[in-house]
Amino acid sequence: MLKGFTRNFPTFKILTEEQIEAIHRGTLDILQETGVLVYNERALKIFEKAGCNVNFETKRVKFSPSLVEESLRKCPSSFRVKARNPKHDLIMGPNNVLFFNFPGTDTVDLNTWEPRTPTKKEHTNLIKVLDALPNVHFLNAYPYFGFSGDIPEVMKEIEGVALRMRNSTKVTIAIANNEIDIFTIKMAKAIGTEIFANPNTSSPLTYYTDQVNACFLAAEYDLPSMIWEGATSGGTAPASIVGALVLSNAELIPYIVLIQLLKPGARVSVANLVLPQNMTNGAPAFGEIGVSLHNVAFNQIWRKYGIPTVCSSCGPTSSKRIDFQLGYQKMMPALLSAISGSSALQLYSSIYGEITAHPIQAILDDDIAGMIGRFLEGIEVSDEALAIDLINEVGPIPGHYLSKAHTRKWWKKEQFVPKVADRLTYPEWLKKGKKSCIDYAKERMDEILAAHKVDPPLTDSQENDIERILKEARQYYREKGLITDEEWKVYKRVLKESSGEEK
Amino acid sequence: MLTQPNEILENLKKAITEYDNEKAIGSAKKVVEEKINPIKALDAMTEAIRKVGDGFGRGELWLPDLVGAADAMSSAMPIIEEEIKRTGAKRKSLGTIVAGTVFGDIHSIGKTMVCTLLVAEGFEVYDLGVNIKAEEFLEAIKKYNADILAMSALMTMTASEQKKVIEYLEKEGLRDKTKIMVGGGAITEEFAKDVGADGYDPTAPGAVKLARKLIGK
Repeated sequence: MLKGFTRNFPTFKILTEEQIEAIHRGTLDILQETGVLVYNERALKIFEKAGCNVNFETKRVKFSPSLVEESLRKCPSSFRVKARNPKHDLIMGPNNVLFFNFPGTDTVDLNTWEPRTPTKKEHTNLIKVLDALPNVHFLNAYPYFGFSGDIPEVMKEIEGVALRMRNSTKVTIAIANNEIDIFTIKMAKAIGTEIFANPNTSSPLTYYTDQVNACFLAAEYDLPSMIWEGATSGGTAPASIVGALVLSNAELIPYIVLIQLLKPGARVSVANLVLPQNMTNGAPAFGEIGVSLHNVAFNQIWRKYGIPTVCSSCGPTSSKRIDFQLGYQKMMPALLSAISGSSALQLYSSIYGEITAHPIQAILDDDIAGMIGRFLEGIEVSDEALAIDLINEVGPIPGHYLSKAHTRKWWKKEQFVPKVADRLTYPEWLKKGKKSCIDYAKERMDEILAAHKVDPPLTDSQENDIERILKEARQYYREKGLITDEEWKVYKRVLKESSGEEK
Repeated sequence: MLTQPNEILENLKKAITEYDNEKAIGSAKKVVEEKINPIKALDAMTEAIRKVGDGFGRGELWLPDLVGAADAMSSAMPIIEEEIKRTGAKRKSLGTIVAGTVFGDIHSIGKTMVCTLLVAEGFEVYDLGVNIKAEEFLEAIKKYNADILAMSALMTMTASEQKKVIEYLEKEGLRDKTKIMVGGGAITEEFAKDVGADGYDPTAPGAVKLARKLIGK
């Protein structure tokens, strides 16, 4: 069965063909005239061999328009990604729409709304909730950036991936910082799932070693890539929407060129996290309308390139609370991205930026995803849906439709019933304790956690493989000096103490 | 293997849980033809409607299901009632309720829901319909010797009609022996107290509990 929602109508467009052409020409011009800065010898050599203008001293690479256009053409417009449980296999593009989560460093206290580091249990609970929610189709690299308990920085996400593999069978993403994808990709391989390689750009026009290496890993292990672009308009990109678009496209393309040189026809998607800069305090202006203008135009151009797009900027908001502002800052960019052509939306669980996330929010987001999914299905126009015979049969008052078989069938088809929205009348609401959607989401979280079972759990041999790879990683970073003696002493104690607890 | 009368009663139940008016009428006619005790048919229908009501209470079934089931039962009901009258069979019930939407108001859905669940609970319910005048309520209360009068009003404009009915009942000396429950979109707890009703509940399942409470069962 195909996972995700189907977009059943033409995508919403904001640019004219001439405008798209101007943006494309500008992108080619930047790549040919200025090129990009690549801190990766292996990649420089491959670019040189492919005919790029490469300066090994300055690490500058310039691309010919023909190579760029040829590379774009080689990418498949849709592809499958295999999960450990085939029921969670993904189809990326062109009219299938998927949802996943946006990360947080911290959880929030639901009474004070203050952020704090989650415990391992809270981290695991968020994974379990994301695994259980029907409209979460895959999991991002982090639900949280680690958890409390004196884990060395470099091991936080590797330990996190192990938790995801133990508590979920959905596809996840391998981030490339500090080469940790070497280990997380091995883990994925060991348990029989695919994982997205995840090269990130650094704006403007710069590529660091680890991120570029993700492309080599993708080729070596034949993995799909999700290339991430996160410039800030006015800071690391032009303040004009179209200028930021030219820059972000120019930054995504060198990865596509490299990936297609390494493995022609490789599966690629592009993720857009371009945000305007908040000119009051320098933070990204999460959830503002400029986010959506960029997203809609981005989707239109990449759809023309035939490459699936991912909208990352519909997840983070500027709100610190689960409130009205958070609601509109999520729903608006998510809906606009969905109708303009996104293949995946990174909506779930985030509250403020990349700082806070919470399973309650993920449960609320599941209703947003459901609503958008229903909207994408569109309107069926058929004899049965038109209901001419029925309307003639019922006639004027006292006729009504509530007892009709047509109603019993069609209301369920046409209505999306949110799971945790407050839908009561005033008297019911007063009688039932004046609950809000947040109260219902808490109740649903408790139900999910009480019932959650990973399907299927890891086998003993898969669990041993995960443990072995974790050990390899610890050893590797000890030797590299990324885990200090002091950190190691504490970490070892933590590992020993936690060896008996639930994985 | 089902015996013949049981099969007919099973079909009657099925007609209700499958919202099939034609089948309900057909099964009711069979009950009469085969001389099955009409009280048994009534029990079968009550059981079926209770099943639908329970599903509704659990959030597994919805308004269209409840109204669909009520519709199917209403289709069969006149045939079964006629048979009860003809045979002089005695029906057992928790109590007798006269229900309707007040004069000037033609909204039937909430009232139908409540009536359906009251029947499912085991009450003998006389649903007068919509746009019912005070005199019509009074007449029915007398005719059926009702324990409870259940009135519905959806619109603010017609809510005050409930007060009129209650005053009329007082004037006619029937207020003391009839418990009165009110409901509908326009009604609140406060309003119910103001007009001198004995009880109010915002939900259909709540209305059933209220009815039991009012007659002390």
